[in-house]
Formats: sequence, C-alpha cells, structure tokens
Amino acid sequence: MSRQASGLQAWAVQRLTAIYLGGFFIYLIVAVLLDPPASVELWRARFGGVASVAWLLFVLALCWHAWIGIRDVVLDYIHPPVWRLSALVAFGGGLVACALWGFKIILLAAGG
Amino acid sequence: MAQSLGREPMKFEIYRYHPETDSKPRMQAYEVEVERGMMLRDALLAIQAEDETFAFRHSCGEGVCGSDGVNVNGVNCLACTTPVSELKPPVQVRPMPGRPVIRDLVVDMSQFYNQYQSVDPWLKRTEPNPEHEIRQSPAHRDQLDGLYECIMCGCCSTSCPSFWWNPDKFLGPQALLTAARFVLDSRDQATAQRLDALEGPYKLFRCHTIMSCVEVCPKGLNPTRAIGQLKAMMLKDAV
Repeated sequence: MSRQASGLQAWAVQRLTAIYLGGFFIYLIVAVLLDPPASVELWRARFGGVASVAWLLFVLALCWHAWIGIRDVVLDYIHPPVWRLSALVAFGGGLVACALWGFKIILLAAGG
Repeated sequence: MAQSLGREPMKFEIYRYHPETDSKPRMQAYEVEVERGMMLRDALLAIQAEDETFAFRHSCGEGVCGSDGVNVNGVNCLACTTPVSELKPPVQVRPMPGRPVIRDLVVDMSQFYNQYQSVDPWLKRTEPNPEHEIRQSPAHRDQLDGLYECIMCGCCSTSCPSFWWNPDKFLGPQALLTAARFVLDSRDQATAQRLDALEGPYKLFRCHTIMSCVEVCPKGLNPTRAIGQLKAMMLKDAV
C-alpha cells in the first residue's frame, strides 16, 4: 500500500463504502418490509441479475470498510512491529476469506 | 453541583509527584477558603501559599498565555478561567494526561511543541515579499477566524486519545489547527507542500473525530472542523 493509499485514499474509501453500505442497508430493509419473500426460492431470486452485482459490491464494500476500520484500530493500539504485522495479516486474511465466502454464497444463490 | 457563593471551605485533591524523591504519585488533600468569583488558579495559589513544595505553571491569569492547563475532575481546562463555583468537590486536579510529569502539575510539553514546529507555523511565500504588507480581502481574513486564536495551552492535544496512542506520529489537534491556519491563509503560497506533508496514515489521519479537543478548548475553538477542512482540501487536491 502506497503512502497515499494509507492516508487520504483509505479515508476517502471508508466514506464511499459507508455511503454504499448505508444505502444498500436501507434498500434491503425497505425491500424486505414491503415485499417479504415467502419462500427460499423467492429469496434466491433476490440474488439474480443486477441484484447479484449489488450484493457482490456490498460484500466487497463491507470487507474493504472493515479492513480500513480494523487497520486503524491496529495502528492505534498495537505498536510492536511483529504484533502489528501479525494482527494485520490475521485480520486481513480473515476479511479476504469472508469476502470469498460471501462471493461464493451470492454466486451460488444467483446461479439458482 | 455549584457551590454557594459565600466564603466557605472547599476540598481539593491535588496530584503530587516529585520524580527525584517520590517512588510513585499520590493525591494530597487540601482545603481552601473559596470566595465569590474565585478561579481555580487562585485556589492553587492559595494551596501553594500553604504548601510551597507544590508546583504548577501559571502566568497571565487571564486565559491568554496558556500556561496553566490542568486536568480537573477528569477534564482539561485552564485553571485561570475555570471558576471554582462550577467544580464539584472534592476537586481533583491532575497534570494534563499523556505527558511526562516533571513535578506535580508541571508536565514536559516538548513533544507537543515539536509537533507544532513540524507544521512550519509561519507564512511561506514563493514570490518575493512585497515592500508593503500583503493585503487580504475581508472574506479571506474571515477564513482565519477560529484558527489563529489558539494559545497553545495543550488542553486539546493532551485530551485526544489519538494523541495519547501515537504522540510521536500523530500531530494532534493543536498542530493540525495551526496547519489549517496557514493552509487556509490567502497569503500563504505553500498550500500543496503543506498538504503533502500531512499525507500518510499518521500525521493527520489518526484523527477519528472523537472531538475531545472541541469539548475542552478554553478558547472555544474547533480543531475537528479544521482537521475536516484539511482532509477536504487534500481530497479536492487529489481528484
């Protein structure tokens, strides 16, 4: 990560992903309240087509947002380089795994 | 919460620590006859008159020099502008947090001053200085309001958790307010250089908008807003 990516860019990305996450959450709540899916098939239909792209972006935005947040916490609290690197690798690896898992779930659901 | 305004005794608990003779800090109890309109600095002076081994910094007594920043009942403030009538007894007075204690309420502010110095707190010009003063429009001058009034008491930076965590790398609200003061000054010609100097994860971006600085500033300034202005200018510069 470049110096720029670690400062301004991370800050900007955190805000942009927050806007997407906020908007998506509101859409999701409204959509479920107005038209609650009655069956698993109807749920799965919500993941098809354009919706699958929106879901994939949601998982990506969530993990990216979480990464910047957790990186901030690590930079604040964990100072010894070895512990810091270990924490960043652990959290980063965990988030990448979560993202891949999320992608798999969405693509499987979208594929019917 | 408020004390009645007559002359009556008030309990104080003062942080005492002399690193050369004490193995650890302690809180020492004192009682002061408080009077109407008495400020905390007056109470500390009364305590010092009673116990001359007690040390604290103070100078102007008018909230101008910024010497007597202390932590009172958990909140940073200037002793000279804090009425004792507003304090809940027993009044616990401690040194400003996160700074090495030299003695009692006197702390080492070197790192705080170094961070201030690191933002080059003076006007920079690429053009030769004109023979007359560099004029500003009233609108440009207005942009400096809320930025230039800082008296460098350190109440903000020493109440900032981000400054506690990374005081060597995060500039802290005071230095960033000063950075904004020069970045936003129409007479300064080093804006890009100043913004570039703030890049990276630490100097500016350790601020998480906790806003403790705003809460404690005895001059009513808003370093968080100034930090937001710096971030917005960096973003505008980058896109």
